[in-house]
Amino acid sequence: MASVSFEGVRKEFGTTAVVEDFELHVADGELVVLVGGSGCGKSTILRMLAGLEELTRGVIRIGERDVTGLPPRERDVAMVFQDYALYPHLTARGNISLGLKLRKVPKEEIERRLLWAAEILELGPFLDRRPKQMSGGQRQRVAMGRAMVREPAVFLFDEPLSNLDAHLRGQMRHEIARLRRRVGTTTLYVTHDQAEAMTLADRLVVLDRGRIQQVGRPIDVYRAPANRFVAGFIGTPSMNFLDGHLERGDGGLVFVSDPGPDRAPSGGVRLRLAPDRRPDPAGHRGRPVTLGVRPEDLAMVDTAGPAALRGELVLAELLGPTMHLHVEVEGRRWIAVVPSGPPPEPGAAVGLSIDPERVHLFTAGGASLLRDGRVV
Amino acid sequence: MRRAGFYIVLGAAAVAFLYPFLWMAGTSLKPPAEVGGLSFLPDSPTLENYRLMWVRAPFGRALLNSLLVATVITLSVLVLGSAAAYALARLRFPGRRILNALTVAVLLVPAQLTLIPTYTLIVELGWVDSYAALIVPFAFNAMAILILRQFFLQVPRSLMDAARLDGMGELRILFTVFWPLAAAPLATVGILTFMGAWNEVLWPLLVVRDEELMTLPQLLTVFSLGGGAGPRQLATKLAAAMVLVVPVVAAYAFLQRYFIESMASTGIKG
Repeated sequence: MASVSFEGVRKEFGTTAVVEDFELHVADGELVVLVGGSGCGKSTILRMLAGLEELTRGVIRIGERDVTGLPPRERDVAMVFQDYALYPHLTARGNISLGLKLRKVPKEEIERRLLWAAEILELGPFLDRRPKQMSGGQRQRVAMGRAMVREPAVFLFDEPLSNLDAHLRGQMRHEIARLRRRVGTTTLYVTHDQAEAMTLADRLVVLDRGRIQQVGRPIDVYRAPANRFVAGFIGTPSMNFLDGHLERGDGGLVFVSDPGPDRAPSGGVRLRLAPDRRPDPAGHRGRPVTLGVRPEDLAMVDTAGPAALRGELVLAELLGPTMHLHVEVEGRRWIAVVPSGPPPEPGAAVGLSIDPERVHLFTAGGASLLRDGRVV
Repeated sequence: MRRAGFYIVLGAAAVAFLYPFLWMAGTSLKPPAEVGGLSFLPDSPTLENYRLMWVRAPFGRALLNSLLVATVITLSVLVLGSAAAYALARLRFPGRRILNALTVAVLLVPAQLTLIPTYTLIVELGWVDSYAALIVPFAFNAMAILILRQFFLQVPRSLMDAARLDGMGELRILFTVFWPLAAAPLATVGILTFMGAWNEVLWPLLVVRDEELMTLPQLLTVFSLGGGAGPRQLATKLAAAMVLVVPVVAAYAFLQRYFIESMASTGIKG
């Protein structure tokens, strides 16, 4: 087991930089999840750590050892791939033990580790089957077994569950979490699946266009996104955004929206920020900002009473315990997640209230204006 | 009704292709008196023609020569060809594209054009009347590289990555990961190469004069030209031709599953 450090890592393909100024320290035994959209560089980072991709600049250390120039086999890492990458002509047993044979591990030791992995992953009945004769979930377990028996310093997972159906994905997620508790190896995990990222990670690294946007515990990243990209990326459905500016009034800062495409007679949205989002530095007055509201922080209210937003229901999606309301307000689409109930008819007038304690504010450049819940 | 017509046409085509072959097989077993008839079934079959062929010219030796030459060429084309295909398909190095284009360009040059320069080269090297002259010019083949490269391009990258992490070097990846996956295209290349080498007449005629080194088709040609045209001679020649044909037909029958699979999918898929 070992820690992992990336120091000033940069990767270019041709003239395009796909990873820039990447700095990260992963503690011994920690599980760090890299998330981001496709092309954000997350898989490239994993491949550089594995030695499958050369760095343009920077240093990678595993423990104290600088592994930057080492070939994959000398790095003591094991990787689980999205498409499993099992050798089609070998049985599960052959796939799992090949890496050990090539490393000249004694036969009895190979057998011991094989049985150990088979027991943890419940692979016993499939050991003599070839990949073609196994289901996706079983193949993925064989791929994990192959990584486990190596007893590597670092585990790498590259979107390991993306090819599985939703049910199996949930099941394998639990297995990975369980495996992790049992084995405790330092792990880097790449995914674009938020459920995986939120549930598995000790720490989350959010990437966009090759740069780190935020690093933190999943719940912290969710509650206090560092910028507009992270706010929009983490959370399903995505956060609602509304451009506007800050004004002073009602004893505190007030958010006033810019007129939307359908200019409403009401003059848009005015939202008094909660008292704990003060003090109100004078410099903020008139400042253009973006308001961010998570769908789950909106509530449906009677249109007759005071409501922050009034609009027209476009679509209601009933998901069981909750429903997603798509509401058009002054030409902008808002999504609210509310407890299930009889959904209003499409076209009906809907009022939405915003919990002022839980709104997010971003500068025009996208950086969060809140620190520890206060406007700074 | 349409189906019946279809089978009649297919049947006719099959007969057109098979009849000469069956006639050759049958006539090789006929006594001189029967040679020349249209029927391919001998009334009183005999192995006399095979015995005569065997004693009149060193066909046994030629058979061994042919087997040796064709086998070495085939193995060489498979090993060197797959190594080149692997490098062109999966390794990054400067000049890779140019090498790729050159490989295709080689296919465009007719073999007849390179015949004289190659012959001159063999003479200069002092290789006339040697196995090297028969083998080396065919030991490397652009078509094999192209077919295998096309297949290797389709092997998922993650499989190579997994192999590298498992500790394999490039040669081991080629022979323990790519080869098992490429059984079909390798069989295709193997059959085509073996048949080409087995049937080659012109080149051995140019570079080999020593009867001890002659290949089967070469010896057969020499034998046919010098053997006269009587029924006995014809039957003996046909017996020699049978010895030439049978190994290739047997090899094809054995490997045709791979051959057809490969022709139908990987080999020609762009």
